[in-house]
Amino acid sequence: MPPEHPLSRVERDLRVTPRRRLELLEEVRADAEALEAELVRRGRGRGPARDAAIRQVVPEGEALASLEAQHAPVLRRWAEASGWGDRLERVAISAVAVTVGAFAIWAFHWPAELETRALLAWSQALVVALLAANWTQCAVRLWVMGDLREAERRALWRRQIGLVVAGVALGALGAAWEVHAALGDAWSRAVAGDPTAAPLVWGYVKRATASGMLGLVAATFGLFGWLALTPRLITDEVIERRIARLFTRAPTLSVVPDTTTKEE
Amino acid sequence: MQGSLGKRINELLVLAVLDRGPAHGYQIALSVEESTDGAFSFQHGTLYPILHRLESTGHVKGEWDEETGRGRRKKTYSITSAGQAFLKADSDQLESELRALFGLLRSDAGAA
Repeated sequence: MPPEHPLSRVERDLRVTPRRRLELLEEVRADAEALEAELVRRGRGRGPARDAAIRQVVPEGEALASLEAQHAPVLRRWAEASGWGDRLERVAISAVAVTVGAFAIWAFHWPAELETRALLAWSQALVVALLAANWTQCAVRLWVMGDLREAERRALWRRQIGLVVAGVALGALGAAWEVHAALGDAWSRAVAGDPTAAPLVWGYVKRATASGMLGLVAATFGLFGWLALTPRLITDEVIERRIARLFTRAPTLSVVPDTTTKEE
Repeated sequence: MQGSLGKRINELLVLAVLDRGPAHGYQIALSVEESTDGAFSFQHGTLYPILHRLESTGHVKGEWDEETGRGRRKKTYSITSAGQAFLKADSDQLESELRALFGLLRSDAGAA
């Protein structure tokens, strides 16, 4: 297993926006390399010079905490100063999910009695509330905390897509249920020679369309909501790629290839 | 006394080095250590929070310069006129505070 890059811990532990992280890593790397070169020029061996440079310039402990406090987004600094730092994300997610869920329940206008139609509408409202919660978690991490790493980003995206699929599926299920109910009802009325069969079928068609539309509304809400986050997500990903390149291009944090370490 | 003593001294050390001319972070760290015969040194990256704080207060200015051909950047710091004024005022203030402190410490030592 190759030794850990001296800047890996800084990259991992510094919870600030990727842009700030990249700037600090570039600054520290340039200083560490230049200091090592300077110490070598003054007669120190490469190994000791590199160790001294890393010890002097690579931030850890208090320095890292202080940098994080300085470069955290304003909202996070405010939240942490007011004692809401840890709770803010959970409170925001819960508040948004409850508000959006309640609005969905009101807007979807399901029947009062507990039946299949009502259960489907309840489920659809739950999906919309979960979509809002997932979106809020992503937005809070991006704009309040400032730090949303790739693994978390992918997990949130997968959850969003899963919920969009669930919304569409529930809409389709609702529409299918209405068609099924309409066919059964129309058939029994036709057999009985009831002349009101056609208008009743029209009522079912309206309800089936409405169910399908609910699925589409949930999907649109989920996808367009995510679309609003996309510019920032893309920017972060591009910067994170630059950070990754920074590590692959200089795997040992040294301007001089390490060929003499064993002799020292 | 304004601010913690250690923080003030660190800021004054950085500003004093930059008052001689622009420098990279590692040059500031080396210069402080050499100029004070090792009495003061910045270890484990403690220099960066100080530099970034001074930059955010407008006492120093950081500028990135591209290293041609390697696609790498270096940050150079220079003192601003506000930084020079702060350096002068705060070092005078610190001097008078330390004078008062040592006056008390030495008179106590003499009395004992």
